[in-house]
Amino acid sequence: MLDTAKTRWHPIAASHDLPFRHVFHAQLLGREFAVWRADDGYVNVWENRCLHRGVRLSIGINDGRELKCQYHGWRYANRTAGCTYIPAHPADAPARTITNRTFPAIERYGLVWAAEEPLGGVPEVEGLAEGSLLALRGIPVNAPADLAVERLRGYRFQPSDALDGNAAEISIEAASAFSLALHARSGGAETLAVFFVQPVDSGRAVIRGVLDTAEDHPARLAILRRHNEALSKLREAIEREAAAMPAPTPLTPEFQRVSPELAEMPALSADARKAPLRVQAARKWQAAEGIAGFELRPISGLLPTFQPGAHIDVHMPNGLIRQYSIVNGPGETDSYSIGVKFEPDSRGGSAAMHESVREGDVLAISEPRNNFPLRRDAVKTLFIAGGIGITPLIAMAQALQNQALAFELHYFAQSQAQLAFPDRLETLGPALVPHRGLSPAETAAKLRELLAGYRNAMHVYLCGPGPMLEAARAIAAEAGWPEGAVHFEYFKNTNEIDDSTSFEVALARSCLTLQVPAGRTILEVVREAGVEMPSSCEQGACGTCMATVIEGEPDHQDVYLNDAEKRAGTKIMTCVSRSKSPRLVLDI
Amino acid sequence: MTTQPKCTDPVILNLWHPLAAVSETSVGTVMDTVLLEERVSYAVGSDGTVAAWRSRADLPAGSRVDAGSIAEQLPSKSAYGYVWTTLGDAPAELFPIPEFEEPDRRRLNAATMGVNVSAPRAIENFLDMGHFPYVHTDILGAEPHTEVKEYDVEISAERDEILATRCRFYQPMASTASTEGADVDYIYRVPHPYCSVLYKSSPVDDKRLDVIAIFLQPMDQEHVRAHMMLCVLDEDNEDKIIKRFQQTIFGQDKPILENQFPKRLPLDPRAETPIRADKSAIAYRRWLSQKGVTYGVIPAAA
Amino acid sequence: MITLYDYELSGNCYKIRLLLGMLGLDYKTVPVDFYPGREHKSDWFLRLNPLGQLPVIEDDGFVLRDAQAILVYLASNYDQAGTWYPRDNPRLLGEISQWLAFADGITGTASAARLHDALFYDLDAEAARAGAHRLFRILDEHLWFGEQEGRSWICSASHPTIADIACFPYVILSEEGGISRQDYPAIRRWCDRVKRIPGFLVMSGVFPAGRHGRHKASHERWTTHLHTPGWQK
Repeated sequence: MLDTAKTRWHPIAASHDLPFRHVFHAQLLGREFAVWRADDGYVNVWENRCLHRGVRLSIGINDGRELKCQYHGWRYANRTAGCTYIPAHPADAPARTITNRTFPAIERYGLVWAAEEPLGGVPEVEGLAEGSLLALRGIPVNAPADLAVERLRGYRFQPSDALDGNAAEISIEAASAFSLALHARSGGAETLAVFFVQPVDSGRAVIRGVLDTAEDHPARLAILRRHNEALSKLREAIEREAAAMPAPTPLTPEFQRVSPELAEMPALSADARKAPLRVQAARKWQAAEGIAGFELRPISGLLPTFQPGAHIDVHMPNGLIRQYSIVNGPGETDSYSIGVKFEPDSRGGSAAMHESVREGDVLAISEPRNNFPLRRDAVKTLFIAGGIGITPLIAMAQALQNQALAFELHYFAQSQAQLAFPDRLETLGPALVPHRGLSPAETAAKLRELLAGYRNAMHVYLCGPGPMLEAARAIAAEAGWPEGAVHFEYFKNTNEIDDSTSFEVALARSCLTLQVPAGRTILEVVREAGVEMPSSCEQGACGTCMATVIEGEPDHQDVYLNDAEKRAGTKIMTCVSRSKSPRLVLDI
Repeated sequence: MTTQPKCTDPVILNLWHPLAAVSETSVGTVMDTVLLEERVSYAVGSDGTVAAWRSRADLPAGSRVDAGSIAEQLPSKSAYGYVWTTLGDAPAELFPIPEFEEPDRRRLNAATMGVNVSAPRAIENFLDMGHFPYVHTDILGAEPHTEVKEYDVEISAERDEILATRCRFYQPMASTASTEGADVDYIYRVPHPYCSVLYKSSPVDDKRLDVIAIFLQPMDQEHVRAHMMLCVLDEDNEDKIIKRFQQTIFGQDKPILENQFPKRLPLDPRAETPIRADKSAIAYRRWLSQKGVTYGVIPAAA
Repeated sequence: MITLYDYELSGNCYKIRLLLGMLGLDYKTVPVDFYPGREHKSDWFLRLNPLGQLPVIEDDGFVLRDAQAILVYLASNYDQAGTWYPRDNPRLLGEISQWLAFADGITGTASAARLHDALFYDLDAEAARAGAHRLFRILDEHLWFGEQEGRSWICSASHPTIADIACFPYVILSEEGGISRQDYPAIRRWCDRVKRIPGFLVMSGVFPAGRHGRHKASHERWTTHLHTPGWQK
């Protein structure tokens, strides 16, 4: 019987077993689950092991949006079970493929159902109408499920409206390998009781009963107690019988192996410039004056896990590709929200989003990529946003807020009406400090004030227009901030690119030597030679196309690397930067 | 008389294994324990000699005995404050801990505790720093100082042991002189598949290191007795204060170890997800694989 | 000031630390080397408690032994709000006493199994585990119906009492004695609720619960009266 059980749906918990911020410890056919309900109501059924070191996640912490492992603080997102943060390496974005095994879950008949490899749906039970059901207390039994089902055939009970008798007429309405429907009739009263028996392991089961009695029945407690008493007695008999039989060998679940890339360190780099995901603009709204908000929902399945600071490429109907930061807080994994500023003099990307994209439209997007990772080991974090630069920082601020870590978000904007995503800003409370309508000189003075008082282990994250970032970086340097504590993201590279040089580029791992002529980029030449390279903005701002320099002197033209990194000369943005030396050797 | 050992892993069988702290064994009295699924008895003589033998009915636990006169003994030795024995054919010497001989050190058994886990899982936890802020909160670590900085690991071919150096981790209230936290230095050695030795900056002498070791006695593949040896520079504290501290730390690790799944350490690299912070654990798993250890682990499929 | 004669890994001592923490009382601890030193059987300790058991407190010359008795004393004497041991409510006092006795039963079974597995006490661990499971079935049923009746705690009050404190430690430590709580979901939920009582602190072997709401609660942090030896600093 147990050999076909994997393909069936079984109850693994009652709905009331998943209260606010709790992690339920379930087991089915030997396999353990950590089951938790996120604050948005979603029921997660996960393999009960952290992928890192096998620690049970049922001892972890449900913070409403993510599940945190007790051992090393790894965080896994609601729905996707993707790992969003590895505290031991706070400067890195986790490889997004680190994803715990999830199992499908359905809530029905007051129970939570799951299956290992489901064929078909949750059993349809005639006579059990959703909404007027009473779920009994689950009774764990130290006996095989089939024995429990068999002995339930002898279960006697009174209809809910005639509790006091003892002569109800019982008939078996339906029976299957793991369930039994009994009908009790006494005078005019009748009750249907359906018992689902959850095969926990080869020698353990849980009897989960549901009555067709209204949940608010006046005798509710008495009914629950009566069944609990009778089922407990039945359990004693079943367990006595089971104890006399040879104990069956416990089932040993097989654990899936992690992917070969994850078994080795370091993790692989991001994919090439592809847009494998299809999403629907489920909602479009005015997020602020001149800024359109878009909520992008998956056409099917789940969206990949994102981390705060991550962006996606949006491939627009007019063929342009633009990068937008995801503004979601942790655990908001059913959609991505982005903010698009209308730039009248742009090349048409923002106009396409503002004017052409309507609610219901389908867009192609890349997987999220995080070149602006957030450390969470700072004693205090400062976020400084200018205008639309708020978008990555709002995601970061929500993540720190969720973990109760110290931060301030300083948001420079022209006016109150231009403060984007006011509903999200409101959740940040006093940590949000808006600065409205300041002139460039006033902005610089305010930045000086904010960036005074650097202490060890503080970090600042900057995102906004180029001139403001330049000013803020200069002020931070003056105020004693080390470069490693100043993190920034430009949304575009306003430097004029000089592509007049020509040089040779050698790809060490691919064993190729290529000529980069004037007017072409390293990225283009490398791709033409058949070597896959990831990229995103292709203007030296996002960091996706970064390569390691083994030999030669790069001619940096990007705005992604900081000055120390540029001086070190070990990294290059292949989409805009070039070579000062006649030959450049890259680790590609 | 030949006895077929229950443990069929020759690597583990032919090792020295700890049984108990000499200081906690009443002199001239038979004591019982379990090693590699077999009942083993041991005794300590008044002159410090130790003896171990497969338990037998004529020498029940609690009876008086002269440790020197027992017939059919197992090989035994007294080292680092513990009684050691082997059920197989162990090399003459146990791994060295030179600091143990330094006269100004305090040497004690913090405790011997039973843990429902395999020995290799316990070793791996002993090598791990990333859990300090989460499991030993406000003692060995504290959020948000969670970073495991780059460190070096080597497998010393000459000494056949794993050595992790340049390990640093932020510890709150790291010095007696200040309330500020600071990075503390650690060196880890794994000189025996089931034993590990940790060296840690000494707050009283910046040129020397405190030594903390864990010696695991495998009762079976999924149950150990963990013996915690301390060899520290401390002139001020009573023994019980030092022991209490180490027991607190180990007591915090215990529920993590007992909630690891599977209990045996999987050696297949694709069984779990390592990160850079786990370099020493990766080296340890490879080292066990190379040695062909099968006891207390799930060997990688060939 | 109150002095607690304490062993870190003792669930019975933890009961006292929990209540002292929740009442916000300052106290001093005298560590007793229960294991491996068996200091609770030493002459000086037997003078304090001839039974040779932890915990013992001393409060301004008043010496008291037995975890449950100490909870009664501390709550009666120091709980300003009078909720932990409501002296003016006879029914509730009766209930509390009933569950204090139950807590002793948990100690006799779940704690015994833990002593066997972790500290090698020579006793029948299988019998201890079976006994603990019998008690846990009763407690789980009691707490499940409590939830159905809108009650969160062991006794019928709308707030926790010393009965919750007395039962909690050896329930939450039961897995160290090989007693899984997987079959007791109502007990698991109640454990989460106890962990969220303001002033809650952990001990070795007990994990914190997450925050329940949006506010950062001070009680999720480890607070310790542990004296850290110099060589660990």
